[in-house]
Amino acid sequence: MTDILIADDEPLIRTGLRAIINAEPDFTVVGEAADGAEVLPMVRTLRPDLVLMDVRMPAVDGIQATRTIIGTIPEPPRILVVTTFENDDYVYEALRAGASGFLLKRARPPEILQAIRTVALSDSLLFPAAIRGLAARHAAGRETDRVRRARLTEREEQVLTLMARGLSNAEIAADLVVSVETIKTHVGNLLAKLGARDRTQAVIVAYESGFVRPA
Amino acid sequence: MKSLVRPLVSVTTYRRWTFLLGGTAILVPYVLIYAGLLQIMGHADRQTADRVLESLVMLVVYIAISSAVAFIPAVRILSRTAAETLLGVRLPAETAEGMRSWRSRRRTAAWWVLHIGVGGGTGMLAVLALPLALFLLQTPYTGERIGREFLGRYSELPTWFTVALGLIVLPLVVYLGAGVGAVLARLAPALLGPSPADRLIQLERRAEQLIERNRLARELHDSIGHALTVTTLQAGAAVRLLDSDPEFARRALSAIEETGRTALEDLDHVLGLLREDPSARTPQRTLADAEALFEQTRSAGVEVRAEVGETGGIPPVVSREAYRILQEALTNVLRHAGKVPVDVRLGVRADGLELEVTNPVATAAATRSGGGSGLRGVRERVALLGGRFTAGSDGTRWRVHVTIPVVPLMELELQQQ
Repeated sequence: MTDILIADDEPLIRTGLRAIINAEPDFTVVGEAADGAEVLPMVRTLRPDLVLMDVRMPAVDGIQATRTIIGTIPEPPRILVVTTFENDDYVYEALRAGASGFLLKRARPPEILQAIRTVALSDSLLFPAAIRGLAARHAAGRETDRVRRARLTEREEQVLTLMARGLSNAEIAADLVVSVETIKTHVGNLLAKLGARDRTQAVIVAYESGFVRPA
Repeated sequence: MKSLVRPLVSVTTYRRWTFLLGGTAILVPYVLIYAGLLQIMGHADRQTADRVLESLVMLVVYIAISSAVAFIPAVRILSRTAAETLLGVRLPAETAEGMRSWRSRRRTAAWWVLHIGVGGGTGMLAVLALPLALFLLQTPYTGERIGREFLGRYSELPTWFTVALGLIVLPLVVYLGAGVGAVLARLAPALLGPSPADRLIQLERRAEQLIERNRLARELHDSIGHALTVTTLQAGAAVRLLDSDPEFARRALSAIEETGRTALEDLDHVLGLLREDPSARTPQRTLADAEALFEQTRSAGVEVRAEVGETGGIPPVVSREAYRILQEALTNVLRHAGKVPVDVRLGVRADGLELEVTNPVATAAATRSGGGSGLRGVRERVALLGGRFTAGSDGTRWRVHVTIPVVPLMELELQQQ
């Protein structure tokens, strides 16, 4: 059973999402927050597995809320950013803050559920083309040699490239014909070398530095 | 060699000649009237050398006085068109106000004197040079001899020399016109182009248009974008739950209906703004109306402590935007913090106009940052004006702080170039 918290200032978005999610047997919406300021206490008490986080909220926005959750909660829930428009710099900021992926509010219900499943149940990221483009645009010469300076092994570079395409550890393991445990070690090592807090940050670095180019 | 021949064969040269001859055409009546005046004054009795010099000086003065016609704004339009088409200079657009300004009229007058004085004079030379060339070229056939007294001895020019002279005269005239035309083309932008003040007005207008466009984009985003998102999601959920939860589907449908209706009202409003002629709109408020705004806020029960400096000299576009920000900030205080005392500081500092609105935060909103869509719009518009915007809380007080450069637009233009 996956517990989900919805944070959005629009009640109609919340009821819509809740209805779609609750119709699934293995998902439960455990709470609704109308503002980023309400999210942190609710995460503390309800311990959801995943937060659907709207980026733009009146008082505390999704970026700030994401940053607080990732920064203060030990073993934080996965955060899936929900947004109206895909070319939104705010979304990108939220991903930098530690969200695992993003989802358009206009996505079809099966796509919404698939996105939740991907982010909640595996270690892969939801990093669609629009976000890759944003990352490449944000790069603009920033830290172009960060990946090179990290001196990754050839294997680690392969793993990073596959992570950037949104593959989970199991998928990467299958792709490189090694065990999942080995991949986990590689991921741990490359995160440390890149100085990245989590998978999202590593992938952002990969795109921003131009190590991986948006397809 | 190539560059020596180019003026002779270039279309530009002959187009510019047309411009110079236009000056001559205007010059002729001036000269005729002037000659008549000299006759009446009995000027012809004086010594030749003095007479020529004096006449020339007086002609220039006369032309200068007569160039009063150039003070008619239409003459500026005419001059600009002539300079653009015949001299081949590109003149940036001018506003109607700029064209009517006395500064521009004086510049038109200066141009007018240049056109008929220098340009017309050059053209006059050409008019004289053509018969001269013909006369020189035909000397072998007419047998006419040209000579002059030199050092007390009359010497005659050989025929080959007069023919050679006749051959040179015309190209020389063409070169002269090319030279004078080039000089005038150089001077045209300074005298006929928009003045710095005019450029500033245009830049301000452009900034205003950008701000307005931004505002409309924001409104569309917040109203229609939001409504479509809600209806799409609700409809998607309703389809999925139609059989298992018909009650939800029914509620979703009425939510969609209600959202659609509201969105149409919003659309009506935005389209109204788009159709509206911006110049016909009621005059927009500026910082000069700040006191009235404070009064209005006070009557809503908010204590406003205002510290307002001199704001008269700042550009209207900045003043209007600052008024809107002030209005937005005060409305937000009432909306989010309630009836708390508000401190407003407003004045021109070294780095431009500074506006600060602070108020104690209500406990529920104590951690707010970033701000809602209203403040977001403000941030974008302030950025367009080259300014800085911050809004946030230090735990006890909410502070909106804005600085907008007061003479930023010329610099902005430079940056864009």
